[in-house]
Amino acid sequence: MTIMSCQHLQNYKVIHGSSQFRIIHAYFVACSSPDARKRKAKSGVCHLCHFPSFRLHACLYCVFFGCYSSKHIHDHAERKGHSLALDMTYGNIYCFECGDYVYDLEFEQIAQSQNTKSAKSLCLKPIHFSTWEPTEMEAEILRQNPKRRKMESRSTIGLRGLINLGNTCFMNCIVQALIHTPVLRDFFLADKHNCQPLSAESGQCLVCEMARLFQEFYSGNRTPHIPFRLLHLVWTNARHLAGYEQQDAHEFLIAALDVLHRHCKGYTDDKLLAINRFFTGKNGTTAGNPHHCNCIIDQIFTGGLQSDVTCQQCNNVSTTIDPIWDISLDLGPGPPLPNTNSSSSSSPTSGFTNSPGTYESTSLIDCLKRFTKPEHLGSSAKIKCSICKSYQESTKQLTMKKLPVVACFHLKRFEHSTGYHKKISTFVSFPEELDMTPFMSSSRNNNNGYRNQIIQESAKSLSCENKYSLFAVVNHMGTIECGHYTCYIRQHKDQWFKCDDHLITRADLPTVLKSEGYLLFYHKQILEYQ
Amino acid sequence: DMKRKDAQMRATINQKLIETGERERLKELLRTRLIECGWRDQLKQHCKEVVKQKGLEHITVDDLVSEITPKGRALVPDNVKKELLQRIRTFLAQQSNI
Repeated sequence: MTIMSCQHLQNYKVIHGSSQFRIIHAYFVACSSPDARKRKAKSGVCHLCHFPSFRLHACLYCVFFGCYSSKHIHDHAERKGHSLALDMTYGNIYCFECGDYVYDLEFEQIAQSQNTKSAKSLCLKPIHFSTWEPTEMEAEILRQNPKRRKMESRSTIGLRGLINLGNTCFMNCIVQALIHTPVLRDFFLADKHNCQPLSAESGQCLVCEMARLFQEFYSGNRTPHIPFRLLHLVWTNARHLAGYEQQDAHEFLIAALDVLHRHCKGYTDDKLLAINRFFTGKNGTTAGNPHHCNCIIDQIFTGGLQSDVTCQQCNNVSTTIDPIWDISLDLGPGPPLPNTNSSSSSSPTSGFTNSPGTYESTSLIDCLKRFTKPEHLGSSAKIKCSICKSYQESTKQLTMKKLPVVACFHLKRFEHSTGYHKKISTFVSFPEELDMTPFMSSSRNNNNGYRNQIIQESAKSLSCENKYSLFAVVNHMGTIECGHYTCYIRQHKDQWFKCDDHLITRADLPTVLKSEGYLLFYHKQILEYQ
Repeated sequence: DMKRKDAQMRATINQKLIETGERERLKELLRTRLIECGWRDQLKQHCKEVVKQKGLEHITVDDLVSEITPKGRALVPDNVKKELLQRIRTFLAQQSNI
């Protein structure tokens, strides 16, 4: 096998140059104009069998196209003594004397520039035509660091335990989930965070700390990591979470995303506020646009929640779209209000009950159906309709306008009402793969015109745009007074692990799907570039 | 006769695809999907094994093509095939409207 030119090709070049190659390549291999494409469509057939076969070759000496598999080009080469042909699929040169493909640097450069032009003319990214070649500096770095990590199917790269620093299991679980968020991981391992010099030096940037965390997790070090710096940064940036008491993992997630989002641009609070005011106009409303920010957190986690309020009198629909980072779901219609005469008098003042019988076991899909069901706002909650110009009863419906790359579902298991705090331990089944199509705003629009809008589940949609895969589950064990957080995370395509602070153990998917589930993290299956 | 009609239809569709540039777009889509699902890496690995077997000095492109073509065809996931098919159908439907 040659990766270089041959004598025959060099001889050809001396006599004929590169013009024949250039022309054939421009018109039949990498077309940049409609004219070229027309010509290719019409004439790109074998001259012997008139069939546009798969491996058509063009003779470099005369005007002849021939199939490769049916040996038409071989016959031509033998008969005419024309021993060089151009492969019209990829632009490579075949030498019949050598019996194999040969490669010439000059021809490859011509082909490269034509390929780029062709891709541009169709608005495609020409990234597949060029392979990565290290620069001199990169090659030097590679030589100085000869240790290589091999990714096998059973490798445990990216897994590391986290020491519990005093009821910090809520933080540990969220960190594990974030570390194993594929798009986030790619961002940090590609070193994409450019910190403002001041923030980077002061050590106050949470995003820099995340980057350091990723380095720690992927270092191959198997001893548990002690995230004291992360904890300190969280305390200073989210005062309400400071202290050694057990916090709510969901609250921590939102606070962490908020701080990361703020620090991504290196802005201090007042600067961001000023920018916000500039973008959102005088009255301060965001006028239906999701976050204006372009940071990685917004790119990954921000979705748009559409709220449609329909006036029952005139059917006018008022729509707002709010940016959201997670979807909080109620688990059911809920129990009747507690009173001292009810059968739950066994624990009236203890402050917490744990009665699984109150809620029926349900599923994530059912919770989402409930979430997106039109809700009739009672007569005590009349909305002022801008068309009727009066207060009317209305229905409100929530749907997803824009889906985030990573969807986090928060099952509202903790109830805080006056007089009692309670954890709902009802089993909620959740799937490994989730199709969000029925809950999208577009699905709602298809049912327009009907008073009682029921969202139909679309059967077998071929579009994979709204399909999600589960990759992390945060579980809470225990009661609202005393509990512990653990999580399951998916590493590689199908390896599941249980993260219990510093203990990482292998788990299997059925166990994960049977767990109680408090925070569910789903990742879009197919990512599209915008 | 059926075979001829089939071939004719194929040729016409192919021409339309090339003229409009849709063929290149579909190729790009297919490339992306096959990379995403790991097909490319799998086949690359297989190529390496074939080269190891036959020896770097003696192997030709034709050898590789005959070795990996059947495996490559078999390993394409169904959902990728479906998606491409759907795209082509949509394209043809658009063409008949014009």
